[in-house]
Amino acid sequence: MGKRMKKVKQRKKKVSIKAQMKNQWQLYLLILPAVIYFFVFNYMPLYGIQIAFKDYKAVSGIMGSAWVGLKQFTTFFHAYYFKRLMINTFLLNVLYLLCSFPIPIILAIFLNQIRGEKIKRMIQTSIYVPYFISTVVLAGMLYIFLSPTSGILNVIREMFGARAIDFMSESSMFRGIYILSGIWQSAGWGTILYIASLAGVDQSLYEAAEIDGASIWKKIYYIDIPSIIPVIMMVFILDCGRLLSSDTNKVLVMQTAGNIPTSDIIGVYVYNVGLGSGQFSYTAAIGLFINIINFVLIISVNRISKKMTDVGLF
Amino acid sequence: MKINKAKKKLSIENKIFYIFNTLFWIVIMFMILYPLYLVLIASFSDPDAIVKGEVIWHPVDFSFIGYKAILKYGEMLHSYLNSILYTLTSVIISILVTLSGAYVLSRSKFFGKGVLNFYFVFTMFFNGGLIPTFLVMKDIGLYNNPLIMILMGCVSVWNLMVARTYIQTSVPQELYEAAMLDGADHFQYFFKIVIPLCKTIIAVLAVYYGVSKWNDYFTGLVYFRDREYLPLQTVLREILATLQVDKSGDYMLSMSENAASMNEAVRIANVAKYCIIIVATGPVVVLYMFMQKYFEKGVMIGSLKG
Repeated sequence: MGKRMKKVKQRKKKVSIKAQMKNQWQLYLLILPAVIYFFVFNYMPLYGIQIAFKDYKAVSGIMGSAWVGLKQFTTFFHAYYFKRLMINTFLLNVLYLLCSFPIPIILAIFLNQIRGEKIKRMIQTSIYVPYFISTVVLAGMLYIFLSPTSGILNVIREMFGARAIDFMSESSMFRGIYILSGIWQSAGWGTILYIASLAGVDQSLYEAAEIDGASIWKKIYYIDIPSIIPVIMMVFILDCGRLLSSDTNKVLVMQTAGNIPTSDIIGVYVYNVGLGSGQFSYTAAIGLFINIINFVLIISVNRISKKMTDVGLF
Repeated sequence: MKINKAKKKLSIENKIFYIFNTLFWIVIMFMILYPLYLVLIASFSDPDAIVKGEVIWHPVDFSFIGYKAILKYGEMLHSYLNSILYTLTSVIISILVTLSGAYVLSRSKFFGKGVLNFYFVFTMFFNGGLIPTFLVMKDIGLYNNPLIMILMGCVSVWNLMVARTYIQTSVPQELYEAAMLDGADHFQYFFKIVIPLCKTIIAVLAVYYGVSKWNDYFTGLVYFRDREYLPLQTVLREILATLQVDKSGDYMLSMSENAASMNEAVRIANVAKYCIIIVATGPVVVLYMFMQKYFEKGVMIGSLKG
């Protein structure tokens, strides 16, 4: 009896493998659209990178333009605005990462301590909402609220007798506004991963701690924080990998004539000069330069983190 | 006796914590929700009250002036329709391509899986950059072509991986074996069994893709020459550019045919900008609210292992 069962099972397995092999072409057909998509929108542009080493002329096209070697790169490295662009890009991103990174962790830990599922869910639902607001609308809200004539912030300032400030045209205010609005928009959303891993913490740990007379602060410190460290590391690596690819779209809509000294970052420069004045080869070279830095950055951060904490992305 | 004392101390300590935590969340919720609330009440207020800074806690001189005014901005309505069209078609394509790709990647045995995985993941770390992409798109005829708005960004590697993990963990392997025994092929199994079991992840993908498509102004800015193709967000950006210098009235005047006078247009512009924000953000927030019950579950299942 047992033997027969085994035989039947074996035959079943054989059939399924055979069926699988027979229909392999269907798998390839199913994945084909995704493969084509990435080929057209990600791999074909790689072919266009060659214009960074050429002098692109629209009439000759990508292939036909003349090679110039590293000329575009050296021009950029020697340009007077090179230092400014690099510093602006670097500072904006590092400051943003440092300021915004801890906040979702804090929010998740305190949200986890709220008693009452209903209130918890309500808070969760509402802190995600800003994430769904578009860049353009976010910038629009900034312009409205910070307007020197009717913005609410200046209305309040004037109530206390202070002078109205045109926040969006102050270059010293740009980074602060960028960072704070970024936190407002994405801190709530950033809690998702932490909340998920906090929900997975073994409940018996809390019960044991309670019997031992641990206060909530102690439970947070000794149970919650250690249990989300791997997730924290993972998010940190991901964020570091994106260090120089700051939100060009957002800076582009926040840029005004007044705040250019601090808001001029590489992505915005590439857009303005590349598409605005048609210096395609030059800006393609700048873009490639940043891409390479980013690539090296994410690989090294991943290496370091793997060595130190055993958490890595790949 | 001693234990009792310790317990008492602990409960007081915890009580302090809960009070602190409640206050903390009241402050946080206020900071998150008040700006949104302010936009909402201002959109129903009288423009003069807004300029004077009277609108703080509730609408003042309740009116629909702003909403009536934006109905007359022909280009905004047109771009609104464009955006709806782009988003709907793009989301359907996105979901189909992502799910079928994710299904294939979730199958444990097939030739070339490792290569394909690398093929996808590589694009997350290195890309052509704005300018080379632009020139290549131009060469293949996607410049000033509505297709670019539908296709660009319609598959994301991240979502592909999230969907793959979801299928791996939520569709039981036994179902696959049973279906194969019954002589089903991959097409039948995928369309008849996998897709109906993927409602949660489909909802999550719809929100992700829908929101990023609806909110995208950059593609429209870079790739369109003819104004008739522009999506809503790109048009909004232009209105915004005029907001910077508090001249939005000019823009609205140039767009609306019936504006009685320059002064009136400027006056109405003060409330219309709030209405525009509400109208532009409304669909996204509504979509999120509808999908919200699927949402957390799907996001967590998908991302925890990914």
